[in-house]
Amino acid sequence: MVTGEGAICAAGKHPMEIWEAARAGRSAIVPIQQWDSASWPSRLAGEIVDFNPRALVEDRKLHKLVRRTDLLGLYVAAKAIESAGLVAHRDALDSTGADLFNDRTAVYVGSGGSTYQDQYDFFPLLTTAEGNLKAFGRELTGNVNPMWLLRVLPNNVLCHVGIRYNFKGPNGCIVNHGVSGTLAIAEAAAALRAGEADQAVAVGHDSPIEPENILHYHAIGLLASDTIRPFDARHSGSILGEGAAALVLETEASARARGAKVIGEFLGSGCVTEAEGLLSVRPDGDGLARAIAQALDDAGIHADDVGVIVAHGNGTPSSDASEAAALRRVFGSTSPPVTCFKWTFGHLLAASGIIDAVLALNSLRQGDIPGIATLRDRDPACENLAVSAMAQPPRSDVALVLSRGFAGTDAALLFRAPRHSGNS
Amino acid sequence: MSGGRRRVAITGIGVVTPLGNDSATTWDALLGGRSGVAPITSFDAGGFPVRIAAEVKGFDPRTAIEDRKLLKFMNRSNGFALAAAEEAIRDAGIRPESGTAARWGCAVGTGMMGVEFAELVEIHRRFTENGHLAVERLGAAGATAADPVAFCRSQANAGLSLLLRHFGIRGYATSVNTACASGGQAVGTALKLIRRGIADFALAGGFDSMVNPVGLSAFCLLGALSPDNDTPERASRPFDRTRNGFVLAEGAGFLVLEEWNAARRRGARVYAELAGDGNSLSSYRITDSHPSGDGPIQAMCHALADAGARPEDVDYLNAHGTSTLMNDRSECAAVRVVFGTHADRIGVSSTKSLMGHLVSGAGAVEAAICALAIHRGILPPNANLRELDPDCNLPFVREYPFTRRVKLAISNSFGFGGSNNCVVLRNPENVRT
Repeated sequence: MVTGEGAICAAGKHPMEIWEAARAGRSAIVPIQQWDSASWPSRLAGEIVDFNPRALVEDRKLHKLVRRTDLLGLYVAAKAIESAGLVAHRDALDSTGADLFNDRTAVYVGSGGSTYQDQYDFFPLLTTAEGNLKAFGRELTGNVNPMWLLRVLPNNVLCHVGIRYNFKGPNGCIVNHGVSGTLAIAEAAAALRAGEADQAVAVGHDSPIEPENILHYHAIGLLASDTIRPFDARHSGSILGEGAAALVLETEASARARGAKVIGEFLGSGCVTEAEGLLSVRPDGDGLARAIAQALDDAGIHADDVGVIVAHGNGTPSSDASEAAALRRVFGSTSPPVTCFKWTFGHLLAASGIIDAVLALNSLRQGDIPGIATLRDRDPACENLAVSAMAQPPRSDVALVLSRGFAGTDAALLFRAPRHSGNS
Repeated sequence: MSGGRRRVAITGIGVVTPLGNDSATTWDALLGGRSGVAPITSFDAGGFPVRIAAEVKGFDPRTAIEDRKLLKFMNRSNGFALAAAEEAIRDAGIRPESGTAARWGCAVGTGMMGVEFAELVEIHRRFTENGHLAVERLGAAGATAADPVAFCRSQANAGLSLLLRHFGIRGYATSVNTACASGGQAVGTALKLIRRGIADFALAGGFDSMVNPVGLSAFCLLGALSPDNDTPERASRPFDRTRNGFVLAEGAGFLVLEEWNAARRRGARVYAELAGDGNSLSSYRITDSHPSGDGPIQAMCHALADAGARPEDVDYLNAHGTSTLMNDRSECAAVRVVFGTHADRIGVSSTKSLMGHLVSGAGAVEAAICALAIHRGILPPNANLRELDPDCNLPFVREYPFTRRVKLAISNSFGFGGSNNCVVLRNPENVRT
């Protein structure tokens, strides 16, 4: 059962705020403001323009201990934990009960991993050393923050969610590009099913908007010059965004016992790879089709049961076309309504799948699926997809969420709307 | 333990370590008590407060990997990974084929350093002013400043991608980083893939190399490394009263895992059953567990329960044993709580005493060592333990290897950030199916 959620990105700081931006057809992609990008060959991103560490994480000691991406992860984890009422519930237990609750609470994080900027803290030392490694070693102390390593640990969100909330259960930090956050959900659900935990926090966070990284994505031809147009004849690439999302998952027994409000149900997951290289994507959609089949099998449902597909839709022609091919293989020519959200706030990489999961659940609860506002004319290769610039109603209460990443990884998640949800 | 649960066999082992570039050489050095710690040779560390490390020696990825195109996309640790994985796959005598590729999973613990030092130096040389990035200059250089091959090498899942491609693995693939617990968590993740039925085979391992100017700096700044530059072989001395930090190492370890019955049916040599996995968060400090052992205690208890084993079945513990003051003390306290009086009858050793700390590779290499200990009936020693710390009072395998039939071996891995992992391996003769 899903009992808590949190999300942040360029389009908003709460799941409904982001969902409403998408529903209204508003894109939050703007020229980068973190540095003077005027002369840059690619300068658009889904940047959180009013980024304010204090508004995100109360504990000011943490601001210097972690990176921008970690603050985003910690913020959404706090929101999800709060909305699920986990801490309030635990604190009402006696100390034995609270210890058990902590030991039975899992934390799984999908992290963007290390960044280029992490190592820029060594630039002043490199300047001082003037190319001499001996001098580099000698001048180390005093020229670099002694806590440097702890600041840049890829697993910082996992670490600090643990320390802040005292959760001590099974855990993991997945660093696997575009499917990291998706796998955090899949692994959290697996821990619950295996009886290793009663509740689990799943987080995905990333902040890939940094100079060197933008340049690399530009150089390998993955970035669009104006906007993301998924499945459109004029699609020309993706645009990076920063953000994070989190879900609290728990067993049905745990949710019932503590009277938690259920906001959705996790049904199943699938993950496979195409094994053809870091940047390769098979035109036939083989990996994605297999991931969807695995997820349907895991959930014990049929393709016909799916009421809405939240596609990866990153706007690169090869990914879009192969995604359409995969959906054709699984759903034939009559796919349920298909939408995607990256055109709203950019590609959040490690957080992309989990923020889409949050928005899929909100769409199911609203009974209303935002359209793809940048869509004008469908790419002929994507003819089979029931995509629209306008909102559509879901065909059932089941959502399929797709995500893909480097190394040819494809992942699929299935969720169901809560049983007695109203439409508002 | 549920009766219907799938069991998992370890059928292949491969390592690249500071003690040797394959598992036989590494094992012989462990038994012979030969240290892999020495003055750093891969760069001029003369100015650093710590000038020693456990480096992989004489490694040439071309001996293991014929595909020259793949070599271009490898950083140092990815080369270790491919070579160790190739050894494990050959050792197991089974490879992904067109009919089985989708039933192979892959779980790896990856190091955190994708960008190589030479690349950082190059960006610094071309695009900084007064020690800061000159962002306009970088933007003006545009695509000419971006080497796509270097970009691919720097990705956190670059090593995973190379493994998938090289071996043609097409099932569930994941790359984890919980610092020093990464390798152990990857092995545990792979175990569960087979149990969950989404894979029948898995390649599981960990790899890392932080022996470079930035990596060495990072640990020097924290004061985590032993500064015993003049006595490198003695520098790593887990559980010794005079221990003063860990020794940074590099390398990789890989296991081939298979569903038990299928492995038996094909007549595979089974080193051990991978029987259990336990994880916990310390949620105490970034770098330490609580002195009481809270955190590691739960990881060991979960792992034993997961294996359907009792503490008194354990004959060998490959300790995390980093040789830092707090880790070793906390780990021993945890072992006392979990094992009670049986703690006096376990053979305990930290093989980091000889090979140093492989960071994200450590847990996988040490799981491989546990499998070899079961297979050979020999416990590798905890070197350099001359004056036992009274707070670390466990029956260590001191100085020389110890011959003992091992029913159950466990390996601990605890990471910065508070993740604790324990994996349990069972002697195949003790598996009742």
